[in-house]
Order: sequence, then C-alpha cells, then structure tokens
Amino acid sequence: MTSWTLALRGLVFYARSHLGALLGAAVGSAVLVGALVVGDSVRGSLREMALARLGKVDVALASNDRLFRQELARELGASLKGLVAPVLQLPGTATTGNADSRANQVQVLGVDERFWKLAKEAPGFSEIAPGSVVLNEQLAARLEAKPGDSLVFRVRKPTALSQDAPLSPSEDTLAALRLTVQEVVSDSRFGRFSLHASQLPPLNAYLSLATLSSRVGATNRANLLLAGGTTDGDATLSVGAAEEALKQSWQLSDGELRLIGVPDGKGAELRTARVFIDPPVAKAAFEGNPRAQGILTYFVNELRIGDRVTPYSMVTAAGAPWVPADLGGDEIVVSRWLAEDLNARVGDSITLRYYVVGLRRKLEERESVFRVRSVLPDSEGVDAGLMPDFPGLTDAENCRDWDTGFPIDLDRIREKDNAYWETYKGTPKAFISLAAGKRLWGNRFGELTAIRFPDRAADATFAGELQRSIEPASLGLRFEPIREMALAASSESQDFGQLFLGFSFFLIVAALMLMGLLFRFGIEQRRGEIGTLLALGFQPRQVRSLLLREGILIATVGGAIGVLGGVLYARAMLMGLATVWKGAVGTTSLSYHAGGATLVTGALAGVVVATLTIWMALRTQGRQPTHQLLSETAPEGTVDTGWSKQRTDLISRLCLIVAAGLVVVKGKPEGAAGAETFFLAGSLLLIGGIAQCASFLSSLGGTDHAAKLALVHLAVRNATRRRQRSLATIGLLACGSFLIMSIGVFRLDSRVEQGDRSSGTGGFALIGESTHPVVQDLNSEAGREWYGIEPDLVAGVEAVPLRVLEGEDASCLNLNRAQKPRLLGVQPELLQKRGAFTFAQVMEGLSSTNQWALLNSEVGPDEVAGIGDQASIQWALGRKVGDALAFTDEQGREFKVRIVASVANSILQGNLLIAEDRFVERFPSTSGYRMFLIDAPNGKVEAVSKTLSQRLQDAGLEIEPTVRRLSAFNAVQNTYLGTFQILGGLGLLLGSVGLGVVVLRNVLERKGELALLLAVGFRRDALGWCVLSEHLALLVMGLGVGTVSALIAVLPTLLTPGAQPPYGSLFVTLVTVLLSGVVWTWGATKLALRGRLLNALRNE
Amino acid sequence: MSKPSPLLILDHVSKEFVSGAGAGLVAVLRDVSLSMLPGESAAIVGPSGSGKSTLLNLIGTLDRPTRGRVRLDGEDLERMDDTRLAWVRNRKIGFVFQSHHLLPQCSVLENVLVPTLATDAPRDDSDPAARARRLLERVRLSDRLSHRPGQLSGGERQRVAVVRALINQPGLLLADEPTGALDRASAENLAQLLVELNREEKVALIVVTHSMRLANRMSRVFELADGVLTEPAASKQGGL
Repeated sequence: MTSWTLALRGLVFYARSHLGALLGAAVGSAVLVGALVVGDSVRGSLREMALARLGKVDVALASNDRLFRQELARELGASLKGLVAPVLQLPGTATTGNADSRANQVQVLGVDERFWKLAKEAPGFSEIAPGSVVLNEQLAARLEAKPGDSLVFRVRKPTALSQDAPLSPSEDTLAALRLTVQEVVSDSRFGRFSLHASQLPPLNAYLSLATLSSRVGATNRANLLLAGGTTDGDATLSVGAAEEALKQSWQLSDGELRLIGVPDGKGAELRTARVFIDPPVAKAAFEGNPRAQGILTYFVNELRIGDRVTPYSMVTAAGAPWVPADLGGDEIVVSRWLAEDLNARVGDSITLRYYVVGLRRKLEERESVFRVRSVLPDSEGVDAGLMPDFPGLTDAENCRDWDTGFPIDLDRIREKDNAYWETYKGTPKAFISLAAGKRLWGNRFGELTAIRFPDRAADATFAGELQRSIEPASLGLRFEPIREMALAASSESQDFGQLFLGFSFFLIVAALMLMGLLFRFGIEQRRGEIGTLLALGFQPRQVRSLLLREGILIATVGGAIGVLGGVLYARAMLMGLATVWKGAVGTTSLSYHAGGATLVTGALAGVVVATLTIWMALRTQGRQPTHQLLSETAPEGTVDTGWSKQRTDLISRLCLIVAAGLVVVKGKPEGAAGAETFFLAGSLLLIGGIAQCASFLSSLGGTDHAAKLALVHLAVRNATRRRQRSLATIGLLACGSFLIMSIGVFRLDSRVEQGDRSSGTGGFALIGESTHPVVQDLNSEAGREWYGIEPDLVAGVEAVPLRVLEGEDASCLNLNRAQKPRLLGVQPELLQKRGAFTFAQVMEGLSSTNQWALLNSEVGPDEVAGIGDQASIQWALGRKVGDALAFTDEQGREFKVRIVASVANSILQGNLLIAEDRFVERFPSTSGYRMFLIDAPNGKVEAVSKTLSQRLQDAGLEIEPTVRRLSAFNAVQNTYLGTFQILGGLGLLLGSVGLGVVVLRNVLERKGELALLLAVGFRRDALGWCVLSEHLALLVMGLGVGTVSALIAVLPTLLTPGAQPPYGSLFVTLVTVLLSGVVWTWGATKLALRGRLLNALRNE
Repeated sequence: MSKPSPLLILDHVSKEFVSGAGAGLVAVLRDVSLSMLPGESAAIVGPSGSGKSTLLNLIGTLDRPTRGRVRLDGEDLERMDDTRLAWVRNRKIGFVFQSHHLLPQCSVLENVLVPTLATDAPRDDSDPAARARRLLERVRLSDRLSHRPGQLSGGERQRVAVVRALINQPGLLLADEPTGALDRASAENLAQLLVELNREEKVALIVVTHSMRLANRMSRVFELADGVLTEPAASKQGGL
C-alpha cells in the first residue's frame, strides 16, 4: 500500500465525479496542443512552399540586366558535377488575346530542359515549343486561360545600358510576344518557382529559352543560373563551391566585357556593351597594367566659337598619345575637320554644350569652355575606334537614325555632318584631358568608356589575366544560398503557435477554471474522508498531496486525451485560416503538420498547467477543523467571507474615483494616448465593479435585511452563502466580456480623411506599382507628353516616384521572415515637404523633427540610413529602430541599411526606404521608377487612377487607392483580433457552462433547506425561480460589469468619425453568452430540483 | 509496588465556543479533570449536547481546550505544534467513529493500512501488513481482506475501523458512539470486541456512549452533564 495506490483508488472510485474535471483538463490541453500544432503547420506549410518553389535548387546567381553566356551553365555543371540551368528571367505583363483579362508583375522565364530537371516532379512535356508558353496555375487562373488560348506578353528587353544612363535609347524597350498556351503546371512541377519567399504564389510564364532570348535580342544569353541536386532538406551545393567554379569558368563576355585589338596592331582595348566600364573593372585593369590608358568618349550637343557651331559630335577625354601629356584641364585639341568647320585657331575659346542626365531622366544642358591648344594634322588619322558602342548610335546609317535618348533637333544637322558620319562614324572631333572629361561626364555607371593596353595583345592569355584579376562578384555575378535563405525564412516566420496560444488564452483559462471548480466540488464532497485522514494522523499538506496525486493522474489522462482533441482543434483552426480568417495569411495553402515533439510538449504543458490549477484549488483543503469535517452535515454559518466589506468598499471607491478622474481630466479622447487612458479607466472600472459586487454580496449577507424577507430577497441573499464562489463566477464573466469587447480598441481603422498627411496613407490618394520601369518624369510636361497623358486629366496631380530593388515583402502579408526586404529609393525632400506619415520612433541621438530628412543622415562607414514601417520592422524583419540589415550592392560590396526611424501603420509596409541618391550609388543599373505615391484632387481620384492606368498600361502600372492598400495590411491585425474575440467568446461560453455547474453544486449542498421550503408550503416552481434568479443575478452582474467597463475602455474608438467597431459580432457574442448562461442555469436548476426533495429531510 | 504513571491527564480543562447568534461565549466543558492509567478502560456517558464528543475531540487532539491542559504519555499537548499533534494522533491514539469513516475506494486491508502512510518515522514492527492480517483474523474478517466497505455489514465495517485504529499500536483508543449505528446483536459483539482488545493489546480505552450496557463493561464510568465531568464513587479506581 503506497500513497500512489491510495490516489489511484480514489481516482477510479470517484471517476464519475472527476469526469467533468477530466474534460476540463482535456479541453485545456487540447487547445494548448492545438495552438502549438497550428504553429507547426504554418511553419511546415511555409517550408513545403519554399521547397516547392525551389525544387532541387541550392544556390542561384541572378545578374538581372547583366547577361552572360548560356554556355556558362554547362561549364559550371561540368565543374560542379551537378545540375546547372540557365534561365532568362524578365518582368512582363500578360493579356488575353481580346485584352479582357490582364496580369501585371508576371515573371517571364526562358528555360530549357535543365530547368525542369530541377523541379520536384518532372512536368509532362519535354520541351516548350517555339511560339508557346507554359503558365503556372495562378497566372492561368488570373487570365482564365487554358491550353490552346492565345495570350500577348509584353516583356522588357534587357539592356546593357541602363535606361537612366546618358545616351540610353528611349525607344523600343519592350518586346511583344503573342504566344499560345501549351500547358499549365502545378506547384510541385516548378509552377511556384521564385527566388523570393512569400506564401503568395508568383505569376509565372515559361517560354523556351532560345525563343525568348532571340525575341528580346539576347540570343544565347541568360541572367539567372540555378544550381542544385536534391529536393529534400538542406542544400548539398554550397555557395563557396559554386563561386570557386564560377571563378574558373567565367569569361569577360559573361561580364559584358570585350577585349579587342586596336586598329593597326597598337595594342588591346577593353570595352563593354554597357558603354561605361564598371569602376571595379577599371581598378583591376589599371592595377595589373601600369601602362593602361583610360578613355572617355561623350556625345556633345555642340561645339561653338562665336556664331559658328558644329552640332552633335563626339569628344574624347584621354591622355597621351591622343593629347599632349601636359594638356591643361581647360585646354582642348581639335581635329582638322573641326578646326576648319569652326575656323578655329590655337588660342581660341570653344564652348562645349552637352547634356547630363539627372534623376528621373531629367536632362540638364551644361556648358564648358576650353581653349584650343592645337589642331591635329590629319582628321583621317584620328582613331575611329574611340567611340564606344552607344546603342542607338553605333548601328545608325545616318544622323537621322540616331536614338540617343536626348532630344535631337534634326534641322541642325547639316549635309556635311551627315557626310562626316557616313565617312568617319563617331570618330571624335576633339580631345580634352581625361581628368576634365571625368569631371564633366563621369556618372554613377562609370568614368571610362574604354581602356587601352598599348603593350598587350588582345589574345587569350591577356584575356585570362584580366579575367583572373576581376572579381566576378564585382560585376554582380555572385551566387546566393537560396535554399538556405528559403528555409531560414520559413523557420523564422511569424510564430503562429504563440499567436494562437494568445488567441486561445481565455479559452484555456476558462477550461482550466472549470476543471479546477469541478475538481474542487468533487473534493468537497469527500470532506468526511479528509477529516478521517486528518484524524488518523495525516497532516493537511499530506492530505493535499494525496489529492494532488489524484489531480496529477486526472491531468495526465486529460493531457493524453487533449492530444487527440488538439489535433482536431488545429485542423479546425487551419480551416478557419483558410476561410473566414484568410485575411491574416492570404493563402489557402496551409496544410496540417504536427511534430511528435510538439504533441508531447503540448501535452506536457497541458498536464503541468492543469496540475497547477488543481494545486491552487486544493490550497484550502484540510484547513478546516477535523471534527467539523467529520460531522455529517455542514456546520452552521459556514459562509466563506473572504475580504471584509470595508476592504472591498475601499477598493471599489478608489477604482471608481480614479477612473472617473481620468475620464474627466482627459476629456474627449483623441489619438493613441487618449485610447490608452480610456482603456486604463475601463480596466479600473472593471476591478472596481467586481469589488463593488463583492461589497454588495457582503451587505446582503448581513442580518439587517431580515425584515424585508421575500422570495426574491431570499434568492439574492443565497448568493452570499458561498461568496467566493459567487464572486469567482462574476469575476470570470466580467473579465471575459471585458477582454473580448475591449480588444476591439486595438482594431486598426483604414477609413481616413483624404489628404490627412498624418494618416497611414501619408495623405496620398493613390499608390501605383509598375512592372517595367518608368523612366520619364510623370510630373513634367515632357514626361506626360511621352506617355500621352492629357494635361487637363491630371491637373493638380503630383506623384512621388520611388525606385525599387526587388526583394522579399516585409509586410504582415508575408508569413515568412524576410531575409532581404524590398528596398525603395526616394528623394527625402518630396516626403519631407509634405510631412507625409506619422513617425512612430526615431533612433536615439537623431532629431525627431527632421523626419524624412533623416534619410540623409551619415550613420557609419558602409552604412545607409533607412526608414520603414514599424510593423514591418518589428514583426516581418524581427528588428527594431537602430538595427542594421546587410545588403550587397551591384558591385558585390557589402553595406548595411541602418534603420534610423519608423513610421506608424502605413502603406509603406513591406519595404525599407533609403535616399534615392544612395540607392543609385549602390544600384546604378536599376533603371527608372516602379512605385508611385500619387496626390490627386478630391473628386478626381478615380478618374486620375483610370487615366494613369491606361496611359501606362505598357509599363504594367497597377494603381489602387491607398485606403485599400492600408485596409489589406490592417486586415491582418484586425483578423487576428477577430480570431481572439471568437475564441475568447468560446471561453466565455465555457464560463457559462461553469455557471451551470455552480448552480448544480449550490443546490445539491442545500437540498435539505430546499426540502424544508417545500415542506412548509412553497411550490416547486417557486423554488426553481428562486434558484434561477439567484444565479441569473450573478450572470447579469458579471456580464454587466464587464460590458460597461469595456464600453468606457473603447470610447475613443466609438467616438472616432467613421469608426467601424464590430458591433454585430460583439452583440452576437454577448447575447450568445447570455443565452448560454440562461440555458445552463435553467438546465442545472431543473436537474438539481428533480426527484423527491423531501427525502433529504429524512436524511437530516 | 509503585503505581504506574498516568497515560492521560486532563487538568481543569474547559472549552467555550463563540455563539453565532451573538449571545457571547457558550461553555461546553467546565473545569474537567481526569486521569487514565495505561490499559485502563473508561466510558463517558451523558445526555445529548452534554459535550461528550467535544471532550473526546480534546483528548484526541482534534481540538484545543480554551483553558486547562491535556497531557498524554507525559507530554503536554498544548505545547505541541500541528505536525507533532498529527504524529501523536497517528502513533499514540486510535480513533473509532460512530459512522466508521472507512474509505469507500479502498479494500478492507488497504483501509487498515492507511494510517501507516501518514508518517515515515521508525515503527515498532517492521511489517504492518502482517499485523493488519493478524488483527483482521482476530476480528474474524480474514476472508474479507479484498472486500470494499460497501460489501460489508455495519458491524463488519466497525470491526475494520477498530483494527484500523489499532494498526499503529497506540497507547490510547478513543471510540465515539461505536455502537450507535449498529443493531443490538452487532453492538453487543462490538462491545465485547472492544473489551477483549483493550485487554489483549493493552491499550487504554475511552468510549463515549449512550448505552449503559456498554458503559458498564468499562472499568470506570464518567458522567458528563452541563459540561461538568463526574465519576460516581463506584467506578473509581486510580486517577487523581
């Protein structure tokens, strides 16, 4: 015989009375386990999605606009002994043949058979026919397209020269492809392929690599390499191995570099299709070759002496031998042709006029004056190869075919100019010093258009030397550990387990309280047994220990049952997330996953909390005098009193006074501070209200009311018999209803006054995102004319353009933890002058009045100041203001974005903003703007949206009202709150079941008394009414105190114009709880009063 | 031959309760004194409400006197804390209640062994289970060891209760109306059993009873009336 034997005996013998407690433990455990399993399921689903979108890909090299040889993939594959697939990845738009349906932000992928071998499952086709396209399910659904349908894709042609670069042609940047749908592929067959982590699937269109590359003028070129081997778990191919192989295999042409022989055998020349040589390449070339010569050739609008003008000519900036070694910074050497044209002599001043390209392709004409140093003896001797391969110029047959990206006045071009072009092409007509040229024409893309090596030959040996001296990463050729990043993004994702634990908190509390209540009731029925044990020499703590062992066994069994229940609860929650709560996750693809460890942990946690609850319920057991416990009936006057009336009165008055004071002092609630004050006032009212109920019950328990005795008074006074029990019921109902109703104060309101700069919309009416970069200034007459936007339709409209570097969505709509968030480049003054958005936090040490100007702050070496939305920073990135995120720029240099401030609840969620000049410094090749914040006059918003969407249709511009964007973000938090309210409501319902149990218990304890009332002539229905009204009073008091307190707490929300508190769902919740309480109370009353009550008198 | 020391001494013990009706203090026991030698038997008789059970509770450490002292086996119970009192209840005193108070979930043998779980202090006998079996055989319940209380008659239950009270070899056995819930035959059997065990186990016995038949079988009889304890001269044998 051991103590555990005794406990087990008790558990089995009293199993029926423990059943309720067991169910309570099982429910609590089920909810706990279920919440954790939801977390596992979300993580598991995200991991599944990550593996589905990446297939067997371990690492990837994405060079965007820099195209390399497709052959590089084969060479790397041989070197790595693995699968390497070349891809041409371009942004595009898609429309159906009749333009009924349209999709922007389409990822167009030119692929070959190697790509499909990296998929988890092979598709059903071996190749994509020319003229055909394969869609993923999402794009097919968007366009309502099926195999055989005809679609039109507009794809951006990759350009070696950025559209922002000087002399970048402005025409012909898109290629239109009419294609027939061949097939639709599922997620597991690479339908979901994307390099970025998101649970929202991309819109993918797959073409034959050969077809796409030839159609966009990139034959045999690619801009994405995918390498890998396995489908499951961790990567097998490392970035280090891939980069080592790349270093051995890459060639200059992969970096769009070309080594050619100089005419007349005078050495070798390095040039690039991108026109301007990347600074890291120039640095490497000069370091290894001291005799290398830099050359910068530029297109000038005119050279003028007095009223003699030579229009549209090339000028080269270089050193010896093209110019004297001591040529001054203000001196110029002219060709004979130019000298004759301008009648120039040594010593004359020549004015050069030329364009430089500013932000938003803003052309600025500048001029510089030079003094003629000398005249070259022979124009024909001038090196014709000094002009780089300007696209739009090099292949032009005559001047009228030029496409320089600048406005050309064709009337200025003379016959002799045309003749010069036809004979000499772009042979420069003048020379200045290299230093002067860099000063005038150096830009973010580079300072040189060629490098010559007079002592080297353009052979394989020298090419190899150059290639080895250049880091491919400095040309944007670097591998990223895609699989590792994807798995990190999914594993570090929003913890839905903890989230649902929070949502289910009240449900768990209610279940455990019910369990504790029922367990305690069961123990109270065994008072005789407790007295016996005490009389036999057991100490009170030993008795409690024995009972606790029973409780542990109940908790353990409940925990085990809870595992099964938890699985069901999790499935129900996942179904909710896929349907009514879809706003929180934006996807229906969440599937059930449950790790054994999670189930065990959840069950153990359930057992522990249930045991703790039982321990708390047992604390007072064994403290009553033993002889009282041993007596057959409960002794007279055992009304548990708890705190004295004086104390509860004091608490009640204190809370009410302070609450009233807060409301009076604060006055009309405004803003967040007002909301906090009223929430505090409501909370104090709740405590005060419960204390007031305690006082009320105390006062009823006194004998002063004897003279007023009536059945209803008897009913209410009966509530004082077990005051603590009554108060616990009131407290549970009050706290539950308060919590559920007042949580609404945290709902985010998307209805804002148009033009309110402090709101989450920043005062902007519209937000637009384009697929292709918009390089023209939409605010300028020239830009609007370019896109055919009628001025009167956009009068009063102003757009703040933002540059976009693609990355992961760091908003609450992405469940994954963003590893590399999207970067936006903006001119800070455009937001600063508007005072747009409300700042939530500013980094310590910086002035909070500077706001957007903080983007220009100097924060540290290799650091750039950044600003983001507070929710993005905190939840999606898991960081705070003051933290830094690492990025790698186009030249392979690592730098950090230091978060210097955050804005509150805004449409900027998902992105990090940096100053535009810092952006273009780091990512010079990123052309144009792809996001726009648009101010539009009241009443014209819809018309403006329509106009801009239509005119910029080819750029794939999608516009939506900022309020709608804000609503989508707010929907996530509001959905979470709604989930909390629903689950909390379930907890309240469980609380009302507890009320029914209290009724049963109270009546059973007083059966003799009720029998006496029957014996003296009361009717049974009168007794029923007495019992019912006693407990309904508790229900009404509890819900009343909670509701009134909550109303005060949410008053600011109720008074906010346009506020949309969820009256409907709250009303339904409260009414349901009230009805449930009434039903359970009535049912318990009926049950307790059935049978022959008078028998109880005989037992007395 | 020297007289043995008293096992139990009540020295001017009084017990008062606060009246819930606001009538002040109610004196249940007034200046009660008695002493018991080891192995003695005594009955306490008196009308209902005279304080018999209260007196038994004071002796059995289930309650504390308002005034006076209770000494058991030379120790003053007033000076003991609750832990020590529990030990005394477990090892030095055995209780038999009117309504047996057996644990319905345990078998006969398990019920008898329950007191052995209360403390880990060293025991005089190393095998309480053997003692339990022996005592149950003594009271003719050896064939009921695995039966639950619900399967026994009233008399059988009381016999189990008596054995349970003796399992830890207490020096003092207290019985509160032990035959009150039994029929005449069972009551007679139980009364006989108590007398025999008093002699065999050498345990002092105090019985509170309404039954004069049972009372007269004890070596001493006390009368309790209006809170005052008296011992008719015929029953006096030792004590103060």
